Amino acid sequence: MNTILILLITFPVVFFLSLLFEGVDRKVHARMQKRIGPPIIQPFYDFIKLFNKERIVPVTASSRIFTAVPMIAAAASIVGAAIPIASLVLETGIGGDLILILYLLAMSSVMVMIGGSSSGNPYGAVGFSRKMTMLIAYEVPMLISILSVSLNCVSLAYYNIVSAQIGMKSLLAFTRPSMAVAAATFLLCIPAAADAVPFDISEAKTEIIHGSLVEYGGPYLALVKLAKVASNFAMTFLAVSLFFYFPALLEGYASVGLGALCLCLVPTLILLLLTITVPRTIFARLKIGQAFKFYWLISLALSIISVALSTLGL
Amino acid sequence: MTNGFDDAKEIEVDYARLRVPFGPVHPALKEPISLKVTVRKEEILDVDIGLGHVHRGIEALAENRNLVQALYLVERICGICSHSHTTCFTQALEEIGEIKPSERALYLRSLIFELERMHSHLLLLGLMAYEIGFDTLFMFTWHVRENVLDLFEEITGNRVHHAMNTIGGVRWDLPPHLVGKMNDTLKNLEKSVKYICEVFQNKTVEKRLCEVGVLNHIEARELCVVGPTARGSGVNVDIRRDYPYAAYGELKDSFSVILRNSADAYARTEVRISELFESINVVHTILDELPNGSISMEESALKLMRKIPEGETVSIVEAPRGELLYFVKTNGKDGLWRLKVRTPTIANVLGLKPMLIGGEIADIPVTVASIDPCMSCANRVTVVDQGKGEKKVINWENLRRRGKKQ
Repeated sequence: MNTILILLITFPVVFFLSLLFEGVDRKVHARMQKRIGPPIIQPFYDFIKLFNKERIVPVTASSRIFTAVPMIAAAASIVGAAIPIASLVLETGIGGDLILILYLLAMSSVMVMIGGSSSGNPYGAVGFSRKMTMLIAYEVPMLISILSVSLNCVSLAYYNIVSAQIGMKSLLAFTRPSMAVAAATFLLCIPAAADAVPFDISEAKTEIIHGSLVEYGGPYLALVKLAKVASNFAMTFLAVSLFFYFPALLEGYASVGLGALCLCLVPTLILLLLTITVPRTIFARLKIGQAFKFYWLISLALSIISVALSTLGL
Repeated sequence: MTNGFDDAKEIEVDYARLRVPFGPVHPALKEPISLKVTVRKEEILDVDIGLGHVHRGIEALAENRNLVQALYLVERICGICSHSHTTCFTQALEEIGEIKPSERALYLRSLIFELERMHSHLLLLGLMAYEIGFDTLFMFTWHVRENVLDLFEEITGNRVHHAMNTIGGVRWDLPPHLVGKMNDTLKNLEKSVKYICEVFQNKTVEKRLCEVGVLNHIEARELCVVGPTARGSGVNVDIRRDYPYAAYGELKDSFSVILRNSADAYARTEVRISELFESINVVHTILDELPNGSISMEESALKLMRKIPEGETVSIVEAPRGELLYFVKTNGKDGLWRLKVRTPTIANVLGLKPMLIGGEIADIPVTVASIDPCMSCANRVTVVDQGKGEKKVINWENLRRRGKKQ
């Protein structure tokens, strides 16, 4: 009974936290640009406002796919974010849920992409091809870095990796050189997964008018945006709990459960600001070729080094 | 089957070719221009440029008004280089009417002119940053631009349409207490521009601008592009030096013509950044050497206007975007027979095609922005009947008939 209750509460918590983090991100971004910026709860206002707007489906769109896709995307990324939170609070996990989480997060991007291309807008098509290229560029290094983690901890279950950190009383990224490299790879991939500048190529506003999102409006846009912020939150939370699980340094009650979750949120926010807000403030947008080269030359090389090191037992 | 048919069929089934409409409404464009871009994946194969979405009939309107009314009307051609338009127009009127403004008035004209160049270039640098997704630089540049607009407000009372020029002089004098304030602002401005210059050397900015939108020297000469677009391609033109007007004859030692040979978007941006320093220099010189005297004629502008005889002339100035040309034909009864405006954008927009072809979709916004297009200045030839939804371009015959009528 208790378990079901916790599971049910997790979804609104994810919804609330991801929108809140988005608000902080926007505020900090604005302050770094010498602007005042919107109030921190602005994303909530936006969400409510968009939900009260008219639903518009373009004539050229294949309407079933176009309308279904935002819901699938939002559901996928919220579940993707809820699994690590729930398993941290419940102190349990299913074998192989790490793969499931990554799959759900990738799925939300793919769904938005499909929605864009089903809209019949040429910019949606260009957005599709760009996002496809970006997915290939960042998903591969990201998956390999997770593979390296699971090789190291000999488990594909999310909770086992967390409890391994508690057992070692240390943050995974600082235990071995291979894990430090894996953490670096994962962090490098976050801006691309979040579609933040300099890697917001697939939804470049001034080039292809938000690409896949070009025809979305009203409740559909609200869901697509929710999918995006939830997957940003999930990605950074995953990075913190897999590589920098700070509660592991503490004794007893605070190292697992609800207390540990709360302790994890602060580093998550800091990581979100470092990996998404800061790059988006200090860089200009790259071109697709340049971004692809960056991920395949640097991130992929790093991830392969990490796997090589962990097979050598370093 | 003939060979030609085969070719046509091949193009038809080439599914990778996509015709992307870029504009007339697009977030990267501040004013409507329609580029029909044919792309294969990201590569641009062909571009079709369409103008005429915001044609406002200003030339025809001016021909129905008297000269002073027309003076305030031509100011509204452009929201950024408004002073260039009035200077060009008053110069033409003064030449026809043989009116000689005082030295002080000419210096003040040049002063506003250079301030306008600064604010226009800062605006464009911000836009360039925005087009490549660098919002922070965009915000910062426009923040700096506010200082220049504040100076405008202090001197003329208006931020954008200054209404500074009048026939035979200028309308507002520079009070002595403003000179110190202007020097302070310019000092801060110089510091900020240096900082902007450094940020533009950021690696990601260079990656986006270098070797993008190349318009080589020969093409630039053939297409007669003007202003910073030409100077970025190494064409040595500057009306301020070549045909001095206002006070530029005396000021020619305080600025130099900036040239770059790399001919890409980065070169055009660099030219503009360096011209900002030159403009600051010119303003400093003007403030130091400002001669004394009255700023306008004793007679009112309306009286002067009635004295202007029938005649015609061509007047050119170096607007922030390049050479601005006015052909003015007065009717001797305080009105105009014909007013013809050729704004720099109409010369520069032709350069877009060679710049874009062979590039990538990602480069379209920066390339278009790098010529600093000002569409409402440039629109004039297409007549769009919105009710019937038909478009017709005024051809040579129509133009000749229209010319003969006058």
